[in-house]
Amino acid sequence: MSHNHSHLSRRAFLGTAAAIAAPYIVPASVFGRDGAVPPSERIILGGIGIGNRGSHVLNWMLPEPDVQFVATCDPQKARREMVKKMVDTRYGNSDCVVYPDIREFLATRTDIDAVLSTTGDRWHATAAIMAMRAGKDVYSEKPSAMTIAEGQGVVSTAKRFRRVYQSGLQRLSEGNFTFANELLRLGYLGKLHTLRAHIAPWDAAEMRHDWLPEQPLPPKEEMDWDAWLGPCPWRPYNSEYTRGGWRNHYDFHTSCIGEWGAHTFAQVQVAAGLAETSPVEYKYVANDSGDGMVATFANGVKLVLERDMAGKIWHGSCGVRYEGDEGWVAIADGYSKCEVSNPAWMGDFKKLVDDYMARTQRPMSHVRNFFDCVKSRRLTVANPVVMHRSMSTVHAANVCMWLKRDMKFDPAKEEFVNDAEANRFRSRAMREPWTI
Amino acid sequence: MAENSFEENVMLKSRVHLILIVTLLLACAGQTFAQTVAAKGDEPKLIAVLKDSAAPLKAKIDACRQLAIVGGKDSIAPLASLLGDEQLSHNARYALQMNPDPAVDAALRDALGTVKGRPLAGVIFTVGYRRDAKAVPTLASLVNSGNAMVVDAAARALGNIGNSEAAQALQQALGKVPAECKLAVYEGLARCAESFVAGGKNQDAIAIYEQLYKSNAPHHVRGGALRAAILARDASGGQKLLQEQLANSDYILFSAAAQASHQMGAAEVTTILTGATKALVADRQIVVIQALGVRGDKGATPALLTMAQNGEPPVRVAAIRAVVELGDGSSVPVLVQLLDDGNREIAKAAQEGLATFPGPKADDAVMQMFAGTNTDKQRMALDLMGRRRMTSGLPALVQTANSVDSKIRTDAIKMIGELGGSEQLPTMFGLLKNVQAFQELAAVEQSLTAICLRSPDSDQQARQVIGQLEKAEPTQKASLIRVLGALGGPSALQAVCACARSDNADVRSASARALGTWKTIDAAPSLLTLAKETSNPAEKTLFVRGYLSLAGRGDVPAPDRVAMCRQAVGLIARDEEKRLLLGTLSNIELPEAMDLISPYVDDAGIRQEAVLAAVTLGEKLLKRDDAKSFADKLVPALEKAAQAASDATVANRVKTVLQQAKDKAGAK
Repeated sequence: MSHNHSHLSRRAFLGTAAAIAAPYIVPASVFGRDGAVPPSERIILGGIGIGNRGSHVLNWMLPEPDVQFVATCDPQKARREMVKKMVDTRYGNSDCVVYPDIREFLATRTDIDAVLSTTGDRWHATAAIMAMRAGKDVYSEKPSAMTIAEGQGVVSTAKRFRRVYQSGLQRLSEGNFTFANELLRLGYLGKLHTLRAHIAPWDAAEMRHDWLPEQPLPPKEEMDWDAWLGPCPWRPYNSEYTRGGWRNHYDFHTSCIGEWGAHTFAQVQVAAGLAETSPVEYKYVANDSGDGMVATFANGVKLVLERDMAGKIWHGSCGVRYEGDEGWVAIADGYSKCEVSNPAWMGDFKKLVDDYMARTQRPMSHVRNFFDCVKSRRLTVANPVVMHRSMSTVHAANVCMWLKRDMKFDPAKEEFVNDAEANRFRSRAMREPWTI
Repeated sequence: MAENSFEENVMLKSRVHLILIVTLLLACAGQTFAQTVAAKGDEPKLIAVLKDSAAPLKAKIDACRQLAIVGGKDSIAPLASLLGDEQLSHNARYALQMNPDPAVDAALRDALGTVKGRPLAGVIFTVGYRRDAKAVPTLASLVNSGNAMVVDAAARALGNIGNSEAAQALQQALGKVPAECKLAVYEGLARCAESFVAGGKNQDAIAIYEQLYKSNAPHHVRGGALRAAILARDASGGQKLLQEQLANSDYILFSAAAQASHQMGAAEVTTILTGATKALVADRQIVVIQALGVRGDKGATPALLTMAQNGEPPVRVAAIRAVVELGDGSSVPVLVQLLDDGNREIAKAAQEGLATFPGPKADDAVMQMFAGTNTDKQRMALDLMGRRRMTSGLPALVQTANSVDSKIRTDAIKMIGELGGSEQLPTMFGLLKNVQAFQELAAVEQSLTAICLRSPDSDQQARQVIGQLEKAEPTQKASLIRVLGALGGPSALQAVCACARSDNADVRSASARALGTWKTIDAAPSLLTLAKETSNPAEKTLFVRGYLSLAGRGDVPAPDRVAMCRQAVGLIARDEEKRLLLGTLSNIELPEAMDLISPYVDDAGIRQEAVLAAVTLGEKLLKRDDAKSFADKLVPALEKAAQAASDATVANRVKTVLQQAKDKAGAK
């Protein structure tokens, strides 16, 4: 394929762009240095596997005044062309370059500082690790790791190459969820005893192991099936997988627990100051989803997995609820405001959210937090450790359901205690050549 | 026993295979949503599948997946035999990678010498994952193989193993590997250094890190290595390297050094950072200032305050944010002073900083501003009080609210509403009696409402408000009624209904308006009674509208809603209310609602609205599963609507729905 991208310089692009937000504009000082972005610089952005969900995130990113999107890669032609059209329309040119192969994309586009990766779950960790190895900062959709080992790989790679990484846990940058977290952190609820986290009310913890009927493989230019499968075991092509039908297949998905738990476990663990650990005990529940499972942290705080089919706890998706001995707070998508045991707390909403932003320098915009950190090299709100530890909770809860027995987990060693069978789930061999 | 002929043997073998395959396929079909974990004791059966050359690929892949969890020593050899199989090599590794038996390592080491191509890269990866130190000599050879895929995998595997021999092999390979593989060797070395740090061999790690950050490796390798080198050193060694690199003209290394300081707690580091800023350009100053904020050492405050007051505006803004992050009280007077800065961005940053600055010193500064004579500053102080949730400011706010001459009286009253609790209710009741200006009265009303609504027991608050009604003048009484309307609840409802029968027109009007927008269904009987009682057309309209609004609520049972509408029919005279009634009825999915709509088709003033309501309701009703049971009852009303419809589109809809009604009635 041709690589006829124009290599617009950062400054050339800046010259055509609108005025850029304060405070980071310092004229004629330091220019970009191949992947390290000084505060005054524009961030050159690329895409990996951007589809429907990814285009939403890209739509949040493109208006950022200090971001320039230049190229995308995807093994599916229709998707990479969709992104090109979207970006070119936005910029009024035809400069967005497309690549079918992630390796070529990462190896050749040394001008790119950061990538938005919104592949299917099977690729999240591998793509993030490959991109960070190539010196890119990464915004990756969730669930961001298929196994504990993949999560460890993301953490160690980010640290090794001092890359900025943000998992797409955007509720960590939303006012209502932040307010709930701050109520808990500041002691409004008293002593915390229970965290409730929503898991997806459809599907089950057990997933499919069958193959969809084989269909003729399209030309590689249209669909590179080997690349689409990535590190997962080979199976024959069926277009349904590529249209979202990969969900609920064991090789590609993390079950009803990971579907929402990737968000809600991270939410509750961050809120409770437990983002650098994970529960030490998981109690098996004899149902198909994990609904009602109690996972207990070393400090005694209980995390309850809730399907909430009857809507008794929440009336929206991805809900969390924190319960202390002096009160509770609940929040989910679509709420205009938190539900609280004491309405008087709502008067403190603005103060608590503002104070949080000042204390952490994290804005109520998940993508902005990422771009700020690309420049400042601070930890993002959904940094690799937050992602990895909350996904470890997802994985352990899944293993508990699959093995149908109670589990003990050692967060320091990151292994199940006295359970060799469970420990085998910590990693899956990756299909060559997509190894990390 | 006679031997079978060749053909018979083939047929027998085929039959056995067929049975086995059918069994496996059935098992697979059963596994579509089945258990991820095979039953204990299944290992022999799974091994048999692997060994059966006629077993389908899917069955073999499933067997590997299940052996990954239940496979023991017996499965190792059969799986190892598949490592060179292009199609199944990965699946074999999938089964072997997490098997803790040391025989797996031996099998994988053997495979390193026999397997070729893509599968070899996979085997190398798994060897590295398992950290098999005995594989280092073979991996050392493979890292020099010249095959990029193999070199990459071997370099990273050596890094994972991370011992001295692995590091040595990587060092030797560094100058020999193809250019595109150098990154993998760098990463392998970095992984070795990480293992050395974890094992307390920091000097060995530092040697590698120094080699990497001083090399011409890609930016992230150099930056990561420098950061790690600083952190791997002892405190003074790390500080020395930090100081040195903060002055590096290479932005990558400068930035990495600044980032390393995030994790360096010593006070000396603060001195190094603040000292370094003087010689830096603005961009780099911002990076160091942000590092000072992240580190949280309040000792940086004086230097940051100096930067907040002088220099490039973006640097000053960064410094203001950093001092707020540190939260040292000595910053407060400077922030107050910066509120008057000629640069709006600076003044805004200072105001934002004061809004979120932790601790009582900022509260004191805000109160001092409020006590001054500059009205603009007082308003700013009010804003800050609200954002800081300064309940400590309530006495001063009450004093200002009671001061007739104050230019910020209304704002102070509103702020009491934002910050106050039930203890401020007497103050608000007092103000209600005393304020004269409309704006002030509205502010008191707004604050009273806010305070009461925040209470966990709003009915208790409502009772306090009700206690004020008797002695209040009509104007104040109207305010209290509006507060009660916002609060709702049984006590408030009773009180407002009583006021609706007041002799005073203003009080009655306020009551009617409050009742007309009442949110709970318990107000319905009172609204109906009042609508019947009143002789005032305006009040009657409000009561009827409120009543119909409640009848339109989806959470009220449909039969009750029809009954409410039936009650309302006799009270409605104006076309506006008739339209409201028709709108409500068209959403109640009961045939009885159609009976109430139909008469309005005869009403020339709202005929077409009635036709539209009839067809809308008819369409909904006929979609019900039990439509056949009542369709005949709809026919007369729909025929009447069909005759009256003047709009062609609506007429078509009526015609269609009428036919549907007839069809369903006929099919009864």
